[in-house]
Amino acid sequence: MKRRNFLKGLAATAPLAMISTPMLLNAKEGPKGPNALDIKSALSAITSGKKVNKSDKIKLVVPEIAENGAVVPVKINVDHPMDEKNYVKAIHVLATENTNVRCADVVLTPANGKGYFATRIKLGKSQDVMALVELSDGSFISTQKPVKVTIGGCG
Amino acid sequence: MGKALIKIKPKKYKVGDIVKVDFITIHPMDTGLKKDKKSGKIIPAKFINEVSFFYNDKLITKMNIWETVSTNPYFSVNMKITEPGVVKVTYKDNTGESAEKTKKIKPKG
Repeated sequence: MKRRNFLKGLAATAPLAMISTPMLLNAKEGPKGPNALDIKSALSAITSGKKVNKSDKIKLVVPEIAENGAVVPVKINVDHPMDEKNYVKAIHVLATENTNVRCADVVLTPANGKGYFATRIKLGKSQDVMALVELSDGSFISTQKPVKVTIGGCG
Repeated sequence: MGKALIKIKPKKYKVGDIVKVDFITIHPMDTGLKKDKKSGKIIPAKFINEVSFFYNDKLITKMNIWETVSTNPYFSVNMKITEPGVVKVTYKDNTGESAEKTKKIKPKG
């Protein structure tokens, strides 16, 4: 595949996503998507009632102000060893006020070498982005950061 | 399913290094909320819901993805280079379509 053509294709699709985004903002309650899920039930589904500790071991990198809610880069670095016995088991990315709060569940293994994950998510409105990390001993740690969204991106 | 791309960063690496594996593909990632402007009908949800990273046929990372991930999704994880071989990424969407992409691993030194 030619890299040039591939990048052209990407550039062509990005404005389309921007035009079609403000729909969700107009509706007061917002339409319910097929996978509507709120933050409480998502947390209980992931942790099954276990306590979640706030921790500064997780470095969550998100933009303070996202001009386009359809593409918000998220980067997560977990400062934790990756041995056979003690490692980062899973990283969950949650957008706390989207219709479906779950964005990605990443199950890692010691072969990864480092607890790192990066992606791009959609945000419907200004809200907190949360990183929930499960360690191999079954405990959960989390951190969250607010993102201001100028144009929502979930429509 | 659209085209996909795997990139290893940095470009030069040797055995024992921890490298970044970037995966990107072209996919609409429709949420099921958006309406078609011409017909007024709701576009049904179509999104990638499973991505797996394999290193020499050993599963290293498995992801469950929802429609809240952006159009043309990008995922990046780290990987420890242990031997030459192949990185394979398989991905599947909620309509049952699936595809895979491979990239050779050639450590130097």
